[in-house]
Amino acid sequence: MKDNRNITPKDMNSPVEQLVELDPAGFIPLPPPYNKLELEPKIKKLSADQMSKYECGLDGVSAVLLPKPKDENEKRQLVEKFLSGLSKLFSKENNWTFLQPLLLTVEYCARCQTCSQACPIFQQSGEIEIYRPTFRAQILRQLYKRYVKQGGAFLSRLSGDYIEASWEMIARLIELSYRCTLCRRCAQTCPIGADNGLVTHELRKIFSQEMGIAPKQVHELGTVQHLDKGSSTGMTPVAFKDNIEFMEDEIREKTGMDFKWPIDKEGAELLLIHNAGELLAWPENPEAFAIILEAAGISYTLSSDLLGYDGVNYGVWYDDVQFSRVAIRHAQVAKKLGVKKIVIGECGHSHKAMTVVADRVFAGDLNIPRESSLTLLRDIVLSGKLKLDPQRNADFHVTLHDPCNVVRLMGIVEPQREILRAICPNFREMTPHGVYNYCCGGGSGFAIMPNSNFPDWRHSVAGRAKLKQVLDVFQDIIGPEHKKYVCAPCSNCKGQIRELFSAYGVFEKCNILYGGLVELIVNAMTDIKEPFLTWEWH
Amino acid sequence: MNWLQFVFYFAVIVLVVGCLIRAIRIARMPLHVRWELYPIPHEKGKEHYGGSYFEEINWWTKPRQIAVGSEIAEMGREILAIQSLYRNNRKLWYFSFPFHFGLYLLTATIFLLLIGGVLQTMGIEISGASESTWGRLLNGFTIITGVAGWVLGAIGAFGLFLSRIFRAELRKFSVRADYFNLLLLLAIFVTGFLSWLTADSSLGHLRSFAGGMITLKATPSLPTITQLHLILTTLFFVYLPFTHMTHFIGKYFTYHTVRWEDEPNIRGSKIEAEVTRALGYKLTWAAPHIGQNKTWAQAATEAAGQDKKDNGK
Repeated sequence: MKDNRNITPKDMNSPVEQLVELDPAGFIPLPPPYNKLELEPKIKKLSADQMSKYECGLDGVSAVLLPKPKDENEKRQLVEKFLSGLSKLFSKENNWTFLQPLLLTVEYCARCQTCSQACPIFQQSGEIEIYRPTFRAQILRQLYKRYVKQGGAFLSRLSGDYIEASWEMIARLIELSYRCTLCRRCAQTCPIGADNGLVTHELRKIFSQEMGIAPKQVHELGTVQHLDKGSSTGMTPVAFKDNIEFMEDEIREKTGMDFKWPIDKEGAELLLIHNAGELLAWPENPEAFAIILEAAGISYTLSSDLLGYDGVNYGVWYDDVQFSRVAIRHAQVAKKLGVKKIVIGECGHSHKAMTVVADRVFAGDLNIPRESSLTLLRDIVLSGKLKLDPQRNADFHVTLHDPCNVVRLMGIVEPQREILRAICPNFREMTPHGVYNYCCGGGSGFAIMPNSNFPDWRHSVAGRAKLKQVLDVFQDIIGPEHKKYVCAPCSNCKGQIRELFSAYGVFEKCNILYGGLVELIVNAMTDIKEPFLTWEWH
Repeated sequence: MNWLQFVFYFAVIVLVVGCLIRAIRIARMPLHVRWELYPIPHEKGKEHYGGSYFEEINWWTKPRQIAVGSEIAEMGREILAIQSLYRNNRKLWYFSFPFHFGLYLLTATIFLLLIGGVLQTMGIEISGASESTWGRLLNGFTIITGVAGWVLGAIGAFGLFLSRIFRAELRKFSVRADYFNLLLLLAIFVTGFLSWLTADSSLGHLRSFAGGMITLKATPSLPTITQLHLILTTLFFVYLPFTHMTHFIGKYFTYHTVRWEDEPNIRGSKIEAEVTRALGYKLTWAAPHIGQNKTWAQAATEAAGQDKKDNGK
């Protein structure tokens, strides 16, 4: 096996069983108390059975659980399918959505490797070559030049800028397209403005839109289930209402308020859409929203319509058609209710999907304004409508995680900080933060992908930079006697942080809890007798 | 006109037309979905921390605040100093900056030579001994920009060439064409410099060549080294439009139509019309869940439009 640091894109065609062997000893060390290799969680080896069934020739990790082709003929057909998808990716009709940015990246990257220094996965892995942001891009570029570009078969050979497509290559590329979180930190540093994060996104599109290949949780249990049942959690409208009733009881219990959630209230000012995962995993988050909006007297409604109660849009990670379907359905729900705007709860990708990307999918009366809940919350907190006592948040330290989709990709940086500065006396910033933050490691669908040993990889490699940042920012108070809170206003990030902290035992060893932003606001509300934060791990 | 001038004309035409075609092709690509990346320098009052108009409640009801000055200043830093490389990849910047700055100086030199060539045909002498102050000044400027351009360019090209060979991360991703491009430019810089040093100390030969290009008169025979420099430059001009070295065109678009492009889609706007047009494109993706023979609008709404409210009850 070649040294992990010497692999080149052409090696993706290699017939070796596995291209890269992952060894945590080569990863960048973590700060105390995790500065000992024995505290590093293992990346499990796939079983012999799994290895015989699924493609795992990249790094011994299987995110996609791609079945191995039965024979040479099937392999050939899959390569042909890929190449047909590749040419569609560069056609106006099939890819108007991203053609211009894609071609600019493919044509103009100077391969200067500036972006490599910005990629947390490449850096934290100890610079394993296959994770380099330009690695995927180089393959896509050379395939494009060899198979798609006019006269490319000859010219690319002349310039040496080509690569052949074998099944080994395509199979590894499918896995490799799920080793980047689309955080686009790489693109931020590019002197030419190329975007190697986009390359990941576009590769995933070939696999999904042409070959029907995507991780089950993202496609079948993700967008397909979302469109069919109403939520990617599988929650139906009926189940949603049950959840709501249960949570209403909880709110009444916690606050003593006589509370009833506004559901499907036509003519309300705004439609609030949460990530439905919150209702199941962190009900305190939508509950906190409810308490704040009620106390501030905001006219709003939730929707019990199909998709109206789940603002996620997994399509934004892998499939433009599925993306458009979900986005349009969200707009139709809002149109039916006659609201003036849609406000998005604490869900990062939902923010970007609905506000930024879908901005050019909506036309006419579906083009209903969308905005972040963070701005609304900032205005509420600073308006003085709530009686807030920051001292109620004073017995713990707080740091803020910036969800990539909300911050780097949408420019919502200050509202959440203005809130924290107003209500958390012990707020401190990670380095780097704001638009230069590191991804939690669960971006682009990773947080909801539990297949085989992929979570191990996600914790040890993808989440490493974030864990390091969190430990660093609290290093002077890292002991469990100090209570610490990572505020992550994004469901996906919370899911990843929960798994990441569990894998390393961060709550037990360091007493670092995680949660959303609204929970901190409610915790500071003097009208609520008991502390809203329970300081329990979940 | 002699043969070299004729070929040079041809090269300039290829260069200009080639670059224009490239730019037009990119510009005429369909509107894409928004994919901006912060910080965006024209977000007035928010550019220093990377904020956007999304930070404002009911942002669509407020006039957009565009900081044109900040955007131009950022462009200036990016074009002239290659700021992003300076910040994020200093090792490469030490060569990339002189290389690119050398190219800018040489571009300026070409224009100074053209001006000088024209003035010379009007009888104004351009040299250190000229009676005209403008003639002496122009001569001095041209020599400074030219020589500095060749020297900086050569240092940069040579350094970048060595970097591509000796730095593993660059070598692994370099192809034949990358080395060829750098060597070609290095040869142009070196021959230009040698031509000045050995045969053309006031750049009079190049100036008369430039003047001849405008007046269409044949220039007197040139020293061999000067001819070599011009032949290589001709080659470069013809070759450039077909390579990724046209990234000076690409960079305009990556920044202005992708990274910094945050124009919202307002009802009844041009963007909305373009979105509507794009939604009419027919897609041919083959995966079963896409469906056959549909436009984007049909593919996006048919699945979503089916009312499955009873599902799961």
